[in-house]
Amino acid sequence: MENKLKSLRNLIERELQEIKDSGKLEELKNKYLGRKGELNHILKGLKDLAAEEKPRLGKLANEVKEELAVLFDKSEKVWTSKGQAEDLDPSLPGIKNEVGTLHPSTLVQYEIESAFAQMGFAVYDGPQLESDYYNFTALNIPDDHPARDTQDTFWLEGNNLLRTHTSNLQVRMLQKYGAPFRGIFPGRVFRYESTDASHDHTFFQLEGLMVDKDINIGNLIATMKALLSAVFKREVDVRLRPGFFPFVEPAFEMDIKCLVCEGKGCSVCKQSGWVELMPCGMVHPKVLEAGNIDTKIYSGFAFGLGLTRMAMMKYRIDDIRLLESGDLRFLKQF
Amino acid sequence: MSTVEVEEIIDQSKNLENVVVGKIKELSAHPQADRLQVCQVDLGESTEQIVCGGSNLSKGMLVAVAKVGSRVKWHGQGDLVTLASVKIRGIESKGMIAASSEIALADLFPTNDEKEILDLTHFHFKVGQNLSNALDLNDIILDIDNKSINHRPDLWGQYGLARELAAIYRVKLNNYLVKDLPEYKSELKLKVDVEDKTKCFRYLSVALKNITVAPSPWWLKNKLKAVGIRSINNIVDITNYVMYELGQPMHAFDAQAVAGHHIFVKNAKKGDKFVTLDGVKRRLTEDCLMIADSEKYLAVAGVMGGQNSEINSATKDIILEVACFKASSIRKASQVIALRSESSSRFEKSLDPKLTELALQKAVELILNLNEEAYLASSVVDIDNNPFAKLTLEVPEDLINARFGQIIPTKDIKDILTRLQFGVDYKKKIFTIQVPSFRATKDISIPEDIVEEVARIYGYDNLTPSLPQVTLRQPILDVEHDTAKSVRFYLALSQGYNEVYTYPFTDMFWVEKLGLKASQHLKMTNTLTQDLAYLNLSLLPNLLAKAEENLRFFKNFKIFELERERAFLQMKGTLQNLQHLWQIDWTWEKIELGNSQVAFQLKNQGLILGTCGIFNDEMLADNKFKVKIAWWDFDFSTVLKYISQNKFYQSLAKFPSINRDLAILIDKNVLWEDLEKELKKVSPLLVKVEPFDVFTGSGIPEGKKSLAFHLEFKSADKTLESEDADNLLAEIKQLLNSKFSAILRQ
Repeated sequence: MENKLKSLRNLIERELQEIKDSGKLEELKNKYLGRKGELNHILKGLKDLAAEEKPRLGKLANEVKEELAVLFDKSEKVWTSKGQAEDLDPSLPGIKNEVGTLHPSTLVQYEIESAFAQMGFAVYDGPQLESDYYNFTALNIPDDHPARDTQDTFWLEGNNLLRTHTSNLQVRMLQKYGAPFRGIFPGRVFRYESTDASHDHTFFQLEGLMVDKDINIGNLIATMKALLSAVFKREVDVRLRPGFFPFVEPAFEMDIKCLVCEGKGCSVCKQSGWVELMPCGMVHPKVLEAGNIDTKIYSGFAFGLGLTRMAMMKYRIDDIRLLESGDLRFLKQF
Repeated sequence: MSTVEVEEIIDQSKNLENVVVGKIKELSAHPQADRLQVCQVDLGESTEQIVCGGSNLSKGMLVAVAKVGSRVKWHGQGDLVTLASVKIRGIESKGMIAASSEIALADLFPTNDEKEILDLTHFHFKVGQNLSNALDLNDIILDIDNKSINHRPDLWGQYGLARELAAIYRVKLNNYLVKDLPEYKSELKLKVDVEDKTKCFRYLSVALKNITVAPSPWWLKNKLKAVGIRSINNIVDITNYVMYELGQPMHAFDAQAVAGHHIFVKNAKKGDKFVTLDGVKRRLTEDCLMIADSEKYLAVAGVMGGQNSEINSATKDIILEVACFKASSIRKASQVIALRSESSSRFEKSLDPKLTELALQKAVELILNLNEEAYLASSVVDIDNNPFAKLTLEVPEDLINARFGQIIPTKDIKDILTRLQFGVDYKKKIFTIQVPSFRATKDISIPEDIVEEVARIYGYDNLTPSLPQVTLRQPILDVEHDTAKSVRFYLALSQGYNEVYTYPFTDMFWVEKLGLKASQHLKMTNTLTQDLAYLNLSLLPNLLAKAEENLRFFKNFKIFELERERAFLQMKGTLQNLQHLWQIDWTWEKIELGNSQVAFQLKNQGLILGTCGIFNDEMLADNKFKVKIAWWDFDFSTVLKYISQNKFYQSLAKFPSINRDLAILIDKNVLWEDLEKELKKVSPLLVKVEPFDVFTGSGIPEGKKSLAFHLEFKSADKTLESEDADNLLAEIKQLLNSKFSAILRQ
């Protein structure tokens, strides 16, 4: 039996060297290694061997089987279309897995989230379909407040609306989690206005809220400077100007020193050296009260970042409408 | 940096650089062109030859000459161009005799004929002087963003801004100069009844007689032009002028139009109509506060006057109204009649009722200045319902320092507040602060407002940034957010999907095609366009719309799932991968959907997690490529309930398994799942049955398919002998033959 196995191996080796095409290879494989092939035929003889011979010959049989498998494998690589070992054209394009893409807003959102997470800001989500109360009234914007005019609103029945800003979550989160609180709320917001290359009725904002003991304006500036440096991956300079938003007091506009010209003045910053980046301020006592926070102990700051604008800045997207176009020629680039 | 945002700084004289007053000394016909004339123009220092096509040229005329090098607008159109010395049809021309539109003065000097050049003869200007000086057009205009003063009613007039600037720059503020009202003749019995006292805080009214309505003098036109207001006549212009100077809107009625000279301030009746000054008929509601006489409405209070009592060239007597209305009432009325005016946008900000006094005095003074014959014909009627009490705030010094995050010297705080005209008293670390009436209507109401006042004048740049000292608290994990993130990454980076964002407003065309009902969708109450009217009930309609749009450019793509061939099985693979990712053992229940060839519901513990299927071919109107749309959607919130975090490893097999393959011919209609179910019944040792090849067509008998599959036999307690597998295989063959009439292939 030992001889039979060895001569079979030699025979196959010889025949393999002579074959010229993959069809022949397949034929040989069936002849020798197939279920009714010669190798199996020889191995059937194993059971008739003496007990003391069985282990040795069994081992040999396995060795031969593996050796032959390797031989066939090698030949296969040469002769079948799967193998390119010998006739490889390395200038052919690489074979790639089909990979999808994430939306640019998603990419920017996650990037910013991780910067904030480093400073202990948790990420929260909340309703886009909102009540008048959380979107306006709880934020110190009563029914007859002119600030409502600056936020044209999509209204639904029952005094419900599509949230006009992510600030709707300020009071919701304070009510739910209490103080101290540190969180950001990225999400979609809606304004009832006509669309053009720089305006869309649907866009993304990121609201941030921090409430703790003795939070002050200096804290706001330092925190924002640190966070924005992380987001832009370089040291940034910020400054505050007075602003007006009913849910913060004092209210600020935060400018960032122009990243394009380093503050020297260019077309991006309209020669001023500074770019308006985000509204912010110290949380209004009425908002804290609406969130059941004791204003004698706690104070806080809030800020709003235009996520859509950040994405447009980052990827230099010149038409906001592309973002919700669903156009794969656009989306596949990210 | 302390108060408002200056959007633009406009130098009025900028457009008139190198434009001077010239006098036409001689003019003669151009030898080569009928419509052109050759002028010799005295420019003071020199006399230049200029070719001009103006239709109204005459000898001795004073004209505006744009010298070589100045920037003009050719025929009032297009971009500015720089003038050069040129030859026009062979004749040298140095400069241009300008029409008003060519030097951006068309609004001050309107013309009917574009060939008409600007005639300055009546001004008797000195020849050669710069036109901006001659016309007094040399102001620097600061254009301030409205948005940045929405909360500051006191800044809606120039005096208020001057007051603010004086505080910031420590400059002495002069008092607003105004003369006392002169003696009046009691000739006109003026009466005012305020019926709704809650909406009208102050109503001042006075009559003037013997007015001569005429064009305004140059200085007044000029001032109004600077703020972008068109001149109308010497009365209306004065009301506008005072409004811009003090921020107090006012209105003048033709006294003749006011029945019995008796004015009523009252709410409109719902459904009444009224024609405003701009000639538009407005439909009123009880939210509109009106100025009326006993017979009719005269004005929508604080928004706009009526055509019926407008000042016109025949007006002799007027009634002047200087009032203060409740902000929210004006805002409401202005919304109801869909009209925002300079007046209403000021009242909306909550004006100081006291401001009316100064404004009335100033307006009367100016009217009398411009109308020598005019005189006051009544006493001032004053109805005072001012609801704003004197406002005093107690602000602890600690609060200011705490919000600043640093100690601000007490004297600095006192100084800043005093400069801003607050009354300040300081005792025991408490500031007692008197808020001036012009800041007390809305803007300043709580101690934090004082913090802001001090901080903005102190300068935000002077604050020291410092990171907060915080209390750590237990983290709050947001499973939904985390899961959404992992699913997004998974689908995009591992399953080849492209993430698409669509609007929340649903595509009604696809809603209908999918057999969904419009009535089940939430409807917006204030949209007029159909594409923004309904909110998504499902993401599918919008995705289908996007899919259809993308078919123009891509043959194959997956946004949720969209492929041309075998789409369903690929999608099923993705869903099975998700099933594994989420560890949810949902069932696939076949359901009938009108729009789909095949559809399944994915259910777990009786709840529907999602649905999937392949649409009928007719779903796409133009489907020449026979595109198959496979679709799926999940109710994410339901899925979240079942996502298992409990993923445990399974110990590796102790004993080897035996693998066998089988290839069979079988009836085309036999489902894999039925076959698998039967095979699995044969023995628990058969641990896996997995198809690897299915085909029909050449070589396969009609009505049959070829099916090849792997079989894996394994035991948990011993090494299987090959005989065991052979025995089981025989059993399986037997079963395939008897149950499914399958024929073994070799």
